[in-house]
Amino acid sequence: MLFSYNIPCFLDMKRKSLSILLVIVLLASQLSLLSSCNTVKEKQKFSEYYFDYFDTVTTITGYTETEEEFKSICEEIKAELNEYHKLYNIYLRYDGMNNICVINDVTDGKHNVVKVDKKIIDLLLYSKKMYSLTDGKINVAMGSVLSIWHNYRNRGLSDPANAELPPIDKLEEAKKHTDFSKVEINKENNTVFLSDPEMTLDVGAIAKGYAVERIAEYLINKGITDFLLNVGGNVRTIGMGKDNKPWKVGIENPDTSKQEEIPHIEYLKMSDMSLVTSGCYQRFYEVNGKNYHHIIDPVTLYPGEKYLSVSVLTKDSGLGDALSTSLFLMDVEEGKKIVDSLENVEVMWVMPDGEQIYTDGFKNYTFEYIKEF
Amino acid sequence: MVNMNNKRKIKNDVILAVIVIAIAATGLLLLNVFKTEGAFAVVKLDGKETERYPLSVNTEVVIETENDGKNTLVIEDGKAFIKDATCPDKICEGHSKISFKGETIVCLPHKVVIEIVADDSDKELDVVV
Repeated sequence: MLFSYNIPCFLDMKRKSLSILLVIVLLASQLSLLSSCNTVKEKQKFSEYYFDYFDTVTTITGYTETEEEFKSICEEIKAELNEYHKLYNIYLRYDGMNNICVINDVTDGKHNVVKVDKKIIDLLLYSKKMYSLTDGKINVAMGSVLSIWHNYRNRGLSDPANAELPPIDKLEEAKKHTDFSKVEINKENNTVFLSDPEMTLDVGAIAKGYAVERIAEYLINKGITDFLLNVGGNVRTIGMGKDNKPWKVGIENPDTSKQEEIPHIEYLKMSDMSLVTSGCYQRFYEVNGKNYHHIIDPVTLYPGEKYLSVSVLTKDSGLGDALSTSLFLMDVEEGKKIVDSLENVEVMWVMPDGEQIYTDGFKNYTFEYIKEF
Repeated sequence: MVNMNNKRKIKNDVILAVIVIAIAATGLLLLNVFKTEGAFAVVKLDGKETERYPLSVNTEVVIETENDGKNTLVIEDGKAFIKDATCPDKICEGHSKISFKGETIVCLPHKVVIEIVADDSDKELDVVV
């Protein structure tokens, strides 16, 4: 018996009911606090990492009601990633599949006419479009040149003391076999033939972004939303992030020597958009104390040195991928001309001294971020 | 009689106060039990979380990966970094120190990810690229 029941006074009655009410309210508020995690279906954040696709790390982040839902969507994404990874692979062949590696094969001194999956035809047609849009800076027929760099880089990484640069005459010789018009694409029969036997395809500058966009499309068509795909820095957001607000994305400082003080140079809020950054810090090797990265200019045949990085913000991740690579190899003015010919493309160029140059609308997506804790 | 009533009132007030405090204390206790404190460096091997270390405690730990790989994770002054790694490209070693929620260091050859996570907050970044 907590309260006395024989208080006749009206005032005491009031006090009593008030006290009981107070206790009930307190208890009720605590109960609701405790049960809120179970009863209210709030979307939770989940993420997964994969290491098996496109020679890079993939992060999938999503807001779903349950972990099972997230996992089952991830399985679908994984299956898609796996298929594109195999089809667009230039180094490995897979049983029962005519992928790009098979197109590059030579028998009896020449390439074969190869019947391929429509996904390869579509990629190559898109590459052709990007070739003309970027004035040849995106050229998937540059395999002969890029494979030389690839081999020198891999050798340099495994034996840094003896790292070497590819000799320019070797590169010049390879350049003779990069004429994109010799890539014969037949979209009626789904066949590809490289009429120059020395030519090989390298879709590295475009395939990842193109595949990410196709997977995003696949998810959107299935009504899946609130996911973020990050395939090696190729970010595609679908729907919203936390609390149904745009996703928050930071851009790393490409000047690695200054990352201690300034880890990130920009913060973006984005939904249903892609962010693709091409940078000199992503894949490189060192020769005589100097870093040589992987974005090779089709004219000089050497890595582009105009910028530390170029970030492209646009809806289509395939376009973003192709643009970030090609803008990296052009002057700002030249790049702006291409960007102006397109809709909803925003760019940030980071100059060698760290200066950031933007297109007019880029800042519409940025926000101030204050680190806490 | 008046005196008795007053005494009783005081007694009831005390009882009420004790009940209120008890409920409040239980609530606080429960909140604290379910709350994660501060930020952590989470180690993921091939995408699976294996360990998590609070950024508030200085630590040095060797992460053993597949194919006898080793990445030495150091937490110092609230920041995490890879001090040493046996991977061929050493990209993880070259990565700057991380402390922002959402930041990661990736060692692709060893399939290691170090990710900064923290208790839910509006300030969290979803990804840093």
